[in-house]
Amino acid sequence: MTVKEVKDFLSNIQPFQELDNATLGNIAGAVIVEFYPKDTLILQQDGPPSDFLRIIKKGGVKVFIKPDVNEEVVIDYRSEGDTFGLLSLIRGDKSRANVKAVEDTVCYLVTKESIQGLLDSNASFSEYFLKSFLNKYIDKTFSEMHSKSLLYGGGDKLLFTTPVGELASRTAVTAPNEISIKDAAEVMSKRKISSLVLVDQDNLPAGIVTDRDLRDKVVSKGLNVGEPISSIMSVPLMTTEARDYCFEALLKMIRYNIHHLLVVDEGKLRGILTNHDLMMLQGTSPISVVRDIETRQNIEDLVPVSKKINRIVHLLLKEGAKAGNITRIISEINDRLVRKILEIAERKFGKPPVNYCFIVFGSEGRKEQTFKTDQDNAIIYEDPKTAGDGKKAEEYFKGFCNFVKEALVACGFPNCPAGYMASNPKWRQPLKIWKDYFSTWIHTPTPDSLLFSLIFFDFRPVQGDIKLAEKLRSYLNKTLKNQNVFFARMAGAIMNNRPPLGFFKSFIVEKSGEHKDEFNLKFRGIGPIVDIARLFALERGLSETSTLERLHELKDKHPIVMELGEEIEQAFEFISLLRIHHQIELMEKSLAPENFINPNNLSGLEKKSLKESFQLILNIQEAITELYRPGMVNQ
Amino acid sequence: MLTGFFSRKNTPASQSIGDAEYTVLDTELTGLDLKKDSIVSIGAVRMQGARIDIGASFYRLINPANGMDLTSVLIHGITPSEVEQKPSIDDVLDELSVFCGSSVVVGHFVSLDINFINKELKRTGRKNMKNAAVDTCKIYEWIKSNEGSFSRHYSARRDALDLFSLAREYNISFDEGHNALSDAFITAQLFQRFLSSLPGSGVKSIRDLLKIGKA
Repeated sequence: MTVKEVKDFLSNIQPFQELDNATLGNIAGAVIVEFYPKDTLILQQDGPPSDFLRIIKKGGVKVFIKPDVNEEVVIDYRSEGDTFGLLSLIRGDKSRANVKAVEDTVCYLVTKESIQGLLDSNASFSEYFLKSFLNKYIDKTFSEMHSKSLLYGGGDKLLFTTPVGELASRTAVTAPNEISIKDAAEVMSKRKISSLVLVDQDNLPAGIVTDRDLRDKVVSKGLNVGEPISSIMSVPLMTTEARDYCFEALLKMIRYNIHHLLVVDEGKLRGILTNHDLMMLQGTSPISVVRDIETRQNIEDLVPVSKKINRIVHLLLKEGAKAGNITRIISEINDRLVRKILEIAERKFGKPPVNYCFIVFGSEGRKEQTFKTDQDNAIIYEDPKTAGDGKKAEEYFKGFCNFVKEALVACGFPNCPAGYMASNPKWRQPLKIWKDYFSTWIHTPTPDSLLFSLIFFDFRPVQGDIKLAEKLRSYLNKTLKNQNVFFARMAGAIMNNRPPLGFFKSFIVEKSGEHKDEFNLKFRGIGPIVDIARLFALERGLSETSTLERLHELKDKHPIVMELGEEIEQAFEFISLLRIHHQIELMEKSLAPENFINPNNLSGLEKKSLKESFQLILNIQEAITELYRPGMVNQ
Repeated sequence: MLTGFFSRKNTPASQSIGDAEYTVLDTELTGLDLKKDSIVSIGAVRMQGARIDIGASFYRLINPANGMDLTSVLIHGITPSEVEQKPSIDDVLDELSVFCGSSVVVGHFVSLDINFINKELKRTGRKNMKNAAVDTCKIYEWIKSNEGSFSRHYSARRDALDLFSLAREYNISFDEGHNALSDAFITAQLFQRFLSSLPGSGVKSIRDLLKIGKA
């Protein structure tokens, strides 16, 4: 029977398979069948909205947008069992993309009314459709990972799922900001609180005083307690929204090295959040590591603290953190470690003869480190005024940088085998020389110059005179303007690293050797996304270095990211998380955390998500080929 | 007074083939002898232009006036006991006429089906079906002859013109197994393919369509 045929088909595809038999029968009975010969334009961008959800029964379509008359950006290829036309159906305004049959295609059309009815009455159906398809897979995969991994313990209060408002139950005690230090201390002691919020005449928070302020600014300095409290209170106040997740608050505390945050709800002071609250939430806390780092005064004492950083990754994973959040926190902590080392170095070698900026690049530059990776750092210093000054600076930084390198090695950051470290004289140079380097790499097409560009252009400042890094960044952006040949070479490099997905959507694995049946997830999965984000970001003159930040910024600047940004972010998150999980597993077996995985060990949903992610990358790579082809041919 | 194909106005000849309404029809017969044999079942699918409307389908088993030939049981798998309880052909034809309305009737070797339907109509004192009717087999032959000079030979190859061979040629999936409705559905898909290519060959209106494929 024909209705039965349709019903059988629908019962095997998402999200119709979730529907009960009767509902499915009704849907199948109202289906319309259409046939599109190859090359038929089924939906047209900016054309009338689609009146149907189309399910591909047979054949395949290409979904693409035309940002310009001569430009075509392929968003997706869809085949049997896939659907299209939903967004414009629901919104009813216009078609968002062109859909063209790439072979003879038969579609089942489900009417707008049917879909609307299902969306209204069936939660799982609407959930499926209202999120993007990929999004759904990934969410499911996350929870699948959670349920199967032993790493995920129970625990109801979690750093990533608890809004600040829920935790900051204590109300903030306030006092007028004209009262004396003595009076303020009395209030604090009477109410047994470690912090007091001072308010102005309008009852608006003006500052905060904590136990630490009383210790550091009053007692140790012998300050007169009759002075107004406003003379020692901390301003400006750092606040966090009640709806923010605790980890956001934690990041703020780490970044500004503070222990109290005012919790604001719809503009009103709701309470106060302390690092103690966060520690109670999770037992050990990333912030305790940071505090440890802060208190150490020499390298020997720093070494044991740095060992704790790996443990934090476990902890964060256990709490269900997204990969992007884990790497952000790890980067913050590593930054602090580096700053502390530089601080110690400056004390040892004395004040530098010229201002300098310590920069990091590679994965550290992108804030995408997980476990400690090779050092990737350099120093930019102010252009010396005389040759003598130059000599002095060279002398100073030689000893300084070698000390820093050894200190980092001691703290678990191995030497960079390629020598991309400030201890290498080539990579500690005045601003002028750095500009020359960058300009040469951009204008001289050699394999080395391209490699250097890929590594160094992800630089960001960690310590010192940030302005030097900013000047170099703006010089870079200015120099890159309209360097189409350079960008085409960069695009060419991207084409050379395709995700390991074969023509028939099977994974391509190593055929032999140590990693037989495996592929390198970092190099072949994460690498292409990093490269794509870098290319677009540099081309659009952005200063962001992290892949997720770049994608975020590009959302209203680049047509491909505009259309696919969210999916790229999710693919990136997903592959990164898969990698971190894999590495943790290895470390638990006391093996070195490397990047090779065997796809056969993944669950069905993980495989599907990974394939979707790879396919997405391939589609974007194809779009990039189209965009840059003329330049790439010239290579 | 009966409605449907006995009385309604036909589809205007000037209408575009992409907008016209079609009823794709197939019957199962006790045999091919118009005098002796009769209709066992009728299946039909409605099409709105090139859109096949799965929901608008028609399928009736009929208690044949004459006894069933056992050899035909082997072909369509409908046994005498299955049809015994079914409505008579008179009732079914009334329903069919409503279902067809004024649409263009489409079928593979559809003249045969129409002849049997008309025979039954005549028997009960009613007029023949008035609907315009086109034969997918004739359309297929025309398309082939229109494609190139080789195709002159094509019409000689009668063996390749059955519905299933054409379905295979056009990559239409189907279950083997005769059933008036599933066959009508296959025919509809075949006709759908034709509708997509015909305007390119100059066949645009119902008038044109009848010129190349009138049953």
